[in-house]
Amino acid sequence: MNTSWDNEKLTIELEGRIDSGNAAAVENEISEVLKDKEPSDLILDAEKLDYISSAGLRIILRLRKKYPGLRIINVKSDVFEILDMTGFTEMMTVEKAYRRVSIEGCEEIGRGANGSLYRIDKDNVVKIYNNADALADIQHEREVARLALILGIPTAISYDVVKVGNSYGSVFELLNARSFSNILSTEPEKLDWCVDQYVEMLKRIHSTEVPEGKLPDMKETVISWATFMQDYLPEESGKKLLALVEAVPHDNHMIHGDYHTKNLELQDDEVLLIDMDTLAVGHPIFELGSMFNAYRGFFELDHDAILSFQKFSYELAEQFWYKTLAKYLGTEDKEVIRSVEDKARIIGYTRLIRRSIRRGGLEDEARKAEIDHWTKELIELLDRTDTLLFENDLEKADRNHELDIEAIEENLGEVMAFIDEQLETVGCSMKSQMQIDIAAEEIFVNICKYAYHPEKGRAVVRVGVTDEPVQVKITFIDHGKPYDPLLKDDPDVTLSAEEREIGGLGIFMVKQTMDAVEYEYKDGSNILTLVKNI
Amino acid sequence: MLDIKKNLDGSTLEFVLDGRLDTITAPQLEEEVKSSLDGVTDLIFNFDGLAYVSSAGLRVLLSSQKTMNEKGTMVVKNVSDEIQEIFDVTGFSDILTIE
Repeated sequence: MNTSWDNEKLTIELEGRIDSGNAAAVENEISEVLKDKEPSDLILDAEKLDYISSAGLRIILRLRKKYPGLRIINVKSDVFEILDMTGFTEMMTVEKAYRRVSIEGCEEIGRGANGSLYRIDKDNVVKIYNNADALADIQHEREVARLALILGIPTAISYDVVKVGNSYGSVFELLNARSFSNILSTEPEKLDWCVDQYVEMLKRIHSTEVPEGKLPDMKETVISWATFMQDYLPEESGKKLLALVEAVPHDNHMIHGDYHTKNLELQDDEVLLIDMDTLAVGHPIFELGSMFNAYRGFFELDHDAILSFQKFSYELAEQFWYKTLAKYLGTEDKEVIRSVEDKARIIGYTRLIRRSIRRGGLEDEARKAEIDHWTKELIELLDRTDTLLFENDLEKADRNHELDIEAIEENLGEVMAFIDEQLETVGCSMKSQMQIDIAAEEIFVNICKYAYHPEKGRAVVRVGVTDEPVQVKITFIDHGKPYDPLLKDDPDVTLSAEEREIGGLGIFMVKQTMDAVEYEYKDGSNILTLVKNI
Repeated sequence: MLDIKKNLDGSTLEFVLDGRLDTITAPQLEEEVKSSLDGVTDLIFNFDGLAYVSSAGLRVLLSSQKTMNEKGTMVVKNVSDEIQEIFDVTGFSDILTIE
């Protein structure tokens, strides 16, 4: 029986047939291996396993009891079927054997932080991960890419995991695609067109709401960078950096995390986002920070280095970055653009310095010079920056669809007028409009009556409209007592007039006529959302 | 806004409603109904000009129905499709007499 240790991780290769004839012997052999050293992780490699009977399965069960994280990998399809039928695939991680792919003679079409992209045939590319133990990464990227696609971001999702030499790769379809870096480097006259496409996709990403907990929070990551920096900055600057990052509010909108022109592909006429493994949620300033690095930060002292990465010049990168910011912010005002760029630079330099120090940059003269340069710039920026927040287009647009009003019944007319005005753009039927109005009245009046009683307070009403499917989403936010109106029992609508209680119908009507009603209490706020398909 | 017109013909009282019957206007109607039912045996709500009824309005209809069940009849007429839908959802179609 072959076994191999990788630090604390033990891989045991199972072979041939395991049945009642040899199960005891196999179990003894495994116990022998485990006798000397306790592994932190135990992996059973089933590449050469042809058959396993229930006697063999019982060994696995006993092992799993001791090592709950037990995984079985490289499982042949016959054996996989057995494991699937017996429910093992639901109890533990069971990974099928992977198809082998060779990249000999294949064109490298991209290279990112975590791997390289090769075209294996006319229609397909494989992304090979640098990390030899990349299955978890692949799984993660696949999941987030799928999530992004569901949320409306065009991307390529891998449909197969393969082995390339000793590395893992994920295969996806990418026909006739060209990266925007390629377009910019070969057809620089398309600069403005590229900026438009690039910003359009960026806004699309940043306006995509992600359900809570589905993606990592970028703010936490940046806080960890800022914490790291405490040892490498003057105390004053270090504290300011951490405070600035901590003051950025939680944001559940998507950010890509590595949004540069190599990760945007043009496939026929469609723009596709790739390299999704850095997907996160957070305030757009974090995105702008990493974008600054991709065009400027990385190459500030060594302008030529960008040529090998992006294949276009530092001058073009500078122009592209500036035009992108202007377009994204919806302004030509140089002051405004510079001020947002400064905020992005704070995030960018923080990331660059930490990254370089962790890779031994302080021991190398040229790289130490870079660290010193970035640090000097960062300290100077921190000195004159009081917030990382900025006003962008999206927020401006959002505010147009938001009403912040005192929660008193006298204001019902204004709330209704606001909602009806928003609905006008949708063109919904009289019936839907009335149902939405009734539901909105119910919720708003509830807030007026109960949320702050006997005090008074405010309510925010937000109306959002999506195109496909056409859907109206109205969110009510108040900061009053936690109260979930949906918990109220439904009235019995079959009773006669005499038996009926007066009241209690409002929330029932809301539930009946809306397509979804959600309640959440978060950060001291009651958040009630109505969704109606039009 | 709600415009309430009253037509009294013997012991038959008709309320002709025009506008919206909501949280703001329902108390007005309730007040009118309460103060006008003396000697009335047949009550009519004419919804010809009514564009909207929320649960506050339903409450007034239900309490009126309860009162009239003890002393006569109550009819709701000229109900729009949209409001009929509200009556259906809430089971009011079975409680009220809708013409």
